[in-house]
Amino acid sequence: MKTREKTSAVAVKMVIAIIIALYVLFPFFLVVINSCKPTDMITANPIGLEGVSLPQLYQNLKDVINNTHFLFWSAFEYSVVITLLSLILLALFGAMAAWVICRNKTRWSTFIYFTFIASMIIPFQVVMLPLISTFRDVGKFVGIPMLQSVPGIIFAYLGFGGAMTVFILNGFIKGIPITLEEAASIDGCSPEQTFFLIIFPLLKPVITTVTILNGMWIWNDYLLPSMMLGQNGKVKTLPVAVQAFVGSYVKQWNLILAAALLAIIPIVILFLFAQKQIMEGMIEGAVKG
Amino acid sequence: MKRKLLSVLLAGAMVASLSACGGAATATAPAADAGSEAEATTDEEAPAEEADSAAPAASGEGVRLLNGKPEIDQQLQDLAKLYNEETGNTLIVETIGGDTNASDELKKMYQADNMPDIFVIEANQADTWDGMLADLAGEEWTDKTGFELVNASMGTIGFPYTVEATALGYNADVLKAAGVDPASLTSPAAYADAFKTLDEKKDELGITAVLGWCAEPANLGWSSGTHVFGQYLDAGLKADDTTYIDLLNDGGKVDEKRMKAFAEFVGMMNQYSDPDLLVDGTYDEQVAGFKDGKYAFITQGNWCVTSPDDVSFECGFAPYAFEDGIDTIIAGPPSYWVAYSEGDVDGAKEFFNWCAGDSAQNILVNDAGLVSPFDDCKYEAVNPFYKSMKSYIDAGKYSGWHTMLKKDGLQNVTCQVFADYAQGKLDADGFASTMAQVIQSYYNN
Amino acid sequence: MGEFSVGRKAASFGCMIVGLVLMIWGLAMAIAKTGNTLRGGALVVGAVAFFVGFYLFPTLKHHRTIVNIIFLFPLLFAFAVTVIIPLVLGIGYSFTDWNGIRTKGFVGLDNYMRMFRQPGFLWSILITFLFVVFNIILVNLTAFLLALLCTSKLKGLGFFRAAYFLPNLIGGIVLGYIWQFIFSNVITKFTTALFDSRYSMLSETKTAFIGIVIVYIWQYAGYIMLIYITGLNTIPGDVLEASSIDGANATQTLFEIKIPMIAPTITICTFLTLTSAFKQFDVNLALTNGTGSVANFMGNYLTNGTEMLALNIYSTAVINNEYAFGEAKAVLFFIILAVVSIVQVRISNKKEVEL
Repeated sequence: MKTREKTSAVAVKMVIAIIIALYVLFPFFLVVINSCKPTDMITANPIGLEGVSLPQLYQNLKDVINNTHFLFWSAFEYSVVITLLSLILLALFGAMAAWVICRNKTRWSTFIYFTFIASMIIPFQVVMLPLISTFRDVGKFVGIPMLQSVPGIIFAYLGFGGAMTVFILNGFIKGIPITLEEAASIDGCSPEQTFFLIIFPLLKPVITTVTILNGMWIWNDYLLPSMMLGQNGKVKTLPVAVQAFVGSYVKQWNLILAAALLAIIPIVILFLFAQKQIMEGMIEGAVKG
Repeated sequence: MKRKLLSVLLAGAMVASLSACGGAATATAPAADAGSEAEATTDEEAPAEEADSAAPAASGEGVRLLNGKPEIDQQLQDLAKLYNEETGNTLIVETIGGDTNASDELKKMYQADNMPDIFVIEANQADTWDGMLADLAGEEWTDKTGFELVNASMGTIGFPYTVEATALGYNADVLKAAGVDPASLTSPAAYADAFKTLDEKKDELGITAVLGWCAEPANLGWSSGTHVFGQYLDAGLKADDTTYIDLLNDGGKVDEKRMKAFAEFVGMMNQYSDPDLLVDGTYDEQVAGFKDGKYAFITQGNWCVTSPDDVSFECGFAPYAFEDGIDTIIAGPPSYWVAYSEGDVDGAKEFFNWCAGDSAQNILVNDAGLVSPFDDCKYEAVNPFYKSMKSYIDAGKYSGWHTMLKKDGLQNVTCQVFADYAQGKLDADGFASTMAQVIQSYYNN
Repeated sequence: MGEFSVGRKAASFGCMIVGLVLMIWGLAMAIAKTGNTLRGGALVVGAVAFFVGFYLFPTLKHHRTIVNIIFLFPLLFAFAVTVIIPLVLGIGYSFTDWNGIRTKGFVGLDNYMRMFRQPGFLWSILITFLFVVFNIILVNLTAFLLALLCTSKLKGLGFFRAAYFLPNLIGGIVLGYIWQFIFSNVITKFTTALFDSRYSMLSETKTAFIGIVIVYIWQYAGYIMLIYITGLNTIPGDVLEASSIDGANATQTLFEIKIPMIAPTITICTFLTLTSAFKQFDVNLALTNGTGSVANFMGNYLTNGTEMLALNIYSTAVINNEYAFGEAKAVLFFIILAVVSIVQVRISNKKEVEL
């Protein structure tokens, strides 16, 4: 009696789970099928499969990729370069700073640490306007363009991502026994050697976490690049390119959805390969943040 | 020894990372090169070495033109190519999409110190750029046109690159088949009859609806909030008559009687428009519908059909006759090209003179389907609306684009009122009074 | 003294001097406005050389301090330039008539007074709060139920978790356009058939607001679900076993054991949904761009029915070109966010203690 109840309960749950999954994945399904249709078929029947064909998908993708407002490859490359460099520098400098802050309990390090934490509630909108003018003026002053430039935006991500990175890393470093470092020091290691040879390798799991968190943010970020790079600048990231493309006259859904598809694919592929790490990283980040 | 090596390595790492984040713009330039698929964007890092940064625009990179009409982007790229072939000068065309407003983007570009040498403005935006636009008076091309933009404080600032007209575009074949004479459409009563006749004969005529009119605010706000609203300001007036725009710019005042009549007319448009289009259609759907012969009228201008190949019927304009006797269409340059005074002004002037000449006009008129503002242009515009447009202009029956002089951004609020009216949330009185209230608060807030 | 070789000393001082000279030259070029394009490179190279010299500085006693400074510098420098300086400047600008380029004068509290007289802005605050409240409740509820589902004994749990989480990977802009398509082209097909209402949900303020909430739940619930799953998994199995032996039914287990035991998780999730809902921008921009009318709000007809705070600030500054005014609104936004966060953390801490 009891087992029967259980199996039926499980069956009900299974059905619910499947229905929700269908609902959650339905938009993705729509993107895929409608990227394979010509416009008029989409307006006629957006959920049906009529008109779906691979040549049409190829045609839509080609139109999008070659569109002068979109420039997919260029945007893709910029997105990759900006995200990767920002992540590497954030991990390296973040770890260095977190280690110094964690291992030196002075008034200064505490002050810096709390400034970092406090800064995490600052909404981007407050700093965004003066940020642009500061970057513009500094860039003009020193003769290095900080706006519409890849180094400029990486620098900005370093500044904005620093606080959370240090915060999460700090929590982890605290848990590394200090005796490890003391032993290294007795063996004749200089502090920088201790850090790079002993501490840094130990940070691998937590660096994965911050890299995933920062990576998700930077890859998908729209407002910062749109302000710093401009909608029609030479340097564009993928979200900015999508917005620039859709914002133009062309309200052709087949192209827009093909553009969306192009923007989604890289991250979905990444997710398929590193599903576990990404989900765990997101959880850890949230729990520690 | 080992220690030294490590030190050197560390120092190297620091150098690399510092220079990566601190600057050295060229270090990450390869991505820029690989990505520049657009023919226009070449040699972006060239001037970094030798140029004097005090005048970055004059660095031989070429003159940058910011175009606000995506539909002629390709033709302008061709124009740039021809310019280069004929004169050896470089013109770089950058295009901003339609509802990604060029003026908003320009403000961002200005903030970012990334101003193009030539950019597009609408007449009311001259104030935004007060003191920053070059005076083009005395240039050769100014003798050939009466359409240049003159500003009180900055002089002749705007180069008219096209003349556009907006009114109720119609499909002459459909009107003929229904027995409606477009010339008679000069009063609300005449329209009421015509709309009714067309509506009754819908099936017979093979049309979906009498009117292709769309009041969707998020993407088509420029159409309702600027163009259709402009009919309230100008319809029936002489081209230099600024009565209603002056009233409007005097703290947002609205002429009640005229607005009421306008409201009634828009109400009629709502009634006879394709309901699938009216509330949440798109520009593409609207234009496609007209081109396919699904609508007898369309609330756009001559830009919506640029090539005779697009339509199989004759096109024409009828006035928005919301009061008896209104018989004009709105015609003139809706926007201008201006030269940024801190940019390459000489380069811009040279381009303008060339652009007013024969080979450039050939591309603009014949390929881009624009209507030339220049008297000596020998090309007859190919635009299907051109004949009708020219007949109004020759008869002096055209009004100005004074809607472009309203306070910047007003269309973003007025379009919402059009949308509510279209959805039936407002009646004609509600439309008129809400419109008055919204405008009033926009001007005084 | 003899601990360091002459070479080391020379390298250290040499590098520092060269660095200083380069930096001073670069600065001088910049200040003199010669437009020399080498100045930027000189500054960067100079700074790097200085740090190398600094690193090699022949001292044992202070070496650790030097390393500390060098380690802290890159991040702190970036942080100061991108966050601290703009924040201070921004607060300053909010009291002026700054237009993004120049400030002509000090206007005191004018900008702050003005925004409270602007019905459109007050409306934005109101719907932002509404949105936040809706989301805290709905996202957490949905996520929690999903978490319960995903911690029960089902086949293919890994797939379901991944599927539910997937939307969270997609950026707000792309996602906004996908849903714009769904609302205006797909859902209208159903509503036309069922209710004979052919208009898109997004064309009406109320339904558009609901639309944004739906999209937001769709995007965010999967993520919050993951955190709840982690929380639920930390409940020791023997506790649950004990309760089932004691004869507790599923509901009792849920309310008397599971929920109290994951109170810290609930705090985290509420905090996450709160801050992210407050800062909502991308979806708002891509989905409705703030459009929608409100017939009567404090006697005014409003045209920014779905414009939330973050978007309102953006359009005030960037679209209407009122930088100082937008900045003042942003400062208020900051204050609201800070106060709400602090209050929220306080309340949660208290509750946790009580439990």
